[in-house]
Amino acid sequence: MFEGLVQFGHAIAGFLDPLSIGLIMLSSLVGVVIGALPGLTATMGIALMTTLTIKMPSNQALLVLICTYVGAIYGGSRSAILLNIPGTPASAASCLDGHALAKQGLAGRAMGIATSGSVIGTLIGMVFLALFTPVLGDLALKFGAYEFFWLAFFGVVIAGTLTGDDPLKGWLAGLVGIFCATVGQEAIYAFDRFTLGNRDLAGGFNLVPALVGAFGMAELLVAAREKPVPVKINPFDSVIPKLVDVTRYWRTILRSGVIGTFIGILPGVGEDVAAWSSYAAAKRASKEKEKFGKGSIEGLMAAETGDNACVPGAIIPVLTLAIPGSAPAAVLMAAMIIHGVRPGPLIMVEAPTFVYEVVAMMLFATIGILIYGLTLTRLLIRVLSVPKAIIVPIIFALCVVGAYAISSRLFDVWVMLGFGVLGYVLRRAAFPIAPLVLGLVLGDLMEKGLRRGLVLSDGDLTPFFTRPISAVLWITIALVIALRFPFVRRFVARAPRRPAADRTV
Amino acid sequence: MDDHEHALPPASPRTDATAALALIAFGVLVALLSWRMDRFLAQEGTLWTAPGLWPGIIGLCIVALAGVLAVRSKRRARAIGWTAAARDDTPLVPTPRFALAAALFFAYGLVLVGRGLPFWLGTTAFVAVYVFLFRDPPAGATRPRNAIVALAIGAATALVVTLVFERIFLVRLP
Repeated sequence: MFEGLVQFGHAIAGFLDPLSIGLIMLSSLVGVVIGALPGLTATMGIALMTTLTIKMPSNQALLVLICTYVGAIYGGSRSAILLNIPGTPASAASCLDGHALAKQGLAGRAMGIATSGSVIGTLIGMVFLALFTPVLGDLALKFGAYEFFWLAFFGVVIAGTLTGDDPLKGWLAGLVGIFCATVGQEAIYAFDRFTLGNRDLAGGFNLVPALVGAFGMAELLVAAREKPVPVKINPFDSVIPKLVDVTRYWRTILRSGVIGTFIGILPGVGEDVAAWSSYAAAKRASKEKEKFGKGSIEGLMAAETGDNACVPGAIIPVLTLAIPGSAPAAVLMAAMIIHGVRPGPLIMVEAPTFVYEVVAMMLFATIGILIYGLTLTRLLIRVLSVPKAIIVPIIFALCVVGAYAISSRLFDVWVMLGFGVLGYVLRRAAFPIAPLVLGLVLGDLMEKGLRRGLVLSDGDLTPFFTRPISAVLWITIALVIALRFPFVRRFVARAPRRPAADRTV
Repeated sequence: MDDHEHALPPASPRTDATAALALIAFGVLVALLSWRMDRFLAQEGTLWTAPGLWPGIIGLCIVALAGVLAVRSKRRARAIGWTAAARDDTPLVPTPRFALAAALFFAYGLVLVGRGLPFWLGTTAFVAVYVFLFRDPPAGATRPRNAIVALAIGAATALVVTLVFERIFLVRLP
């Protein structure tokens, strides 16, 4: 415990130089602006910043990426409150009460609530990050091929179940992502699979171009498809957070922080689900249920605390299991690997101080969003007023540069274009993109786990089901899948038939 | 995860059925290609080490789940009709206008960068043309003035991207 605190202190001291402070301020600003601009997601922001920081020392590069990540998730609340358009999906829940407050002339107060919720949420998640990562790291050392197979499988299943409105389509998107991960040379014989004789494809799809395509270009195609909406911003009051908003709803803040962090730890689920779950939990427990959706301070606080607490939560499985808790965390993981950090069960053995460096980065990012939360409103309004027809081509140029610069290959630009079209088509057919990306990230781990496990057990499937951690995982997966079927839910609940729910198979 | 998942417009049974059929065809193709992959039996390979094992399983899973989607879309169609779905209020631009935007994206990604044309020139051209074609001009602005504004935005973008990526952060540009 004290050793951890000492390492955390060292990590903080390590970033107290002018260059690091400058990078913190700049990258938090970039993050907030990216987050505030509808159509630019945190995932894309981190992917672009990964490209930009590729030649930087790893510590500084990761500092930039984490500040961008935290800033982007926070920044989304600005357009949610001011325009009723979530800057990032994580802020969709904030639209409900944030914009309702803005329409009452309380946009400043709403932004203050978003700032305090986001700051406290990140801090709560940060504490869990510092406390849970070493514990989970120890547990992860017990994981073998069988457990990693199920864990990766769990990630795709849970992302498919929770990130869209239709689990069946989520699982299908996940399977397409897993298929994409099989393209290229396989691990045992270096056999080319689905490469069509293309030498570039032998290396498989690079994660960053694929993500830039699926999240960036697809989003730009959607923006080009939809008619631009005229920007109308309500007048607003002071953005300084009120202490009474925090003290009055401290239970909601704490609950949302814990929920957000837990959702973050779940592989692939991410900030939007964290915000909605925190919002729903706050509504259930609230004494002012009737205010929710009509300008509830508690609702906005819950959503903003939940989504920002999810950010450190999503980094916990990245560090300990090399399994991302969200799409932006997947890019962050790719960036860590590019910069020579090997996330996974051995991280507490090989680089125990790194975990505390990440916690320190998170703390600086929190300070960054606090500063910009108090000062940046008018600049952001100007940015939000820039027409989409100007933003879209500029962002697309950045997508092309971002895809190219990781490996300096034109092939990656084509991969970005391909995944962009795939992402757009899937979205038009109401398939969620997140499971596709998680399948792409985790497909390799799943295959290696399955084949290694089968080789070790000489084709015997029993250890996949009988080892204790494996058993817990597959039973959980089976339950998650089974509970999507209405007849199973009715059987479990022994309740009369409910009206047809959206989220069933 | 980070996507507009909760804002997805619902799809009609026809869209679902089309997607299901495409996925079934895709899954069958993946499974067939996986089955035909070398199993390296001469090198003591087994079923468990066969390169086609995993993609084959994935292909079959896609076929199975897409089959469920197809059946479900047929059931939904019986209840609400093939083209019905909850109303999506998002106003869309005319398809030719969208096709032009998409064509510009592809022209930039496939032709204007990395094919010998300097990055700054390709980027200036792409951004300027896009802005000129899609920006609603301010009231009273003439076409030449719009063209100059678009060109200035394009040139500024190219300049800033080149400076920031190539000169400050030493990143290679296409």
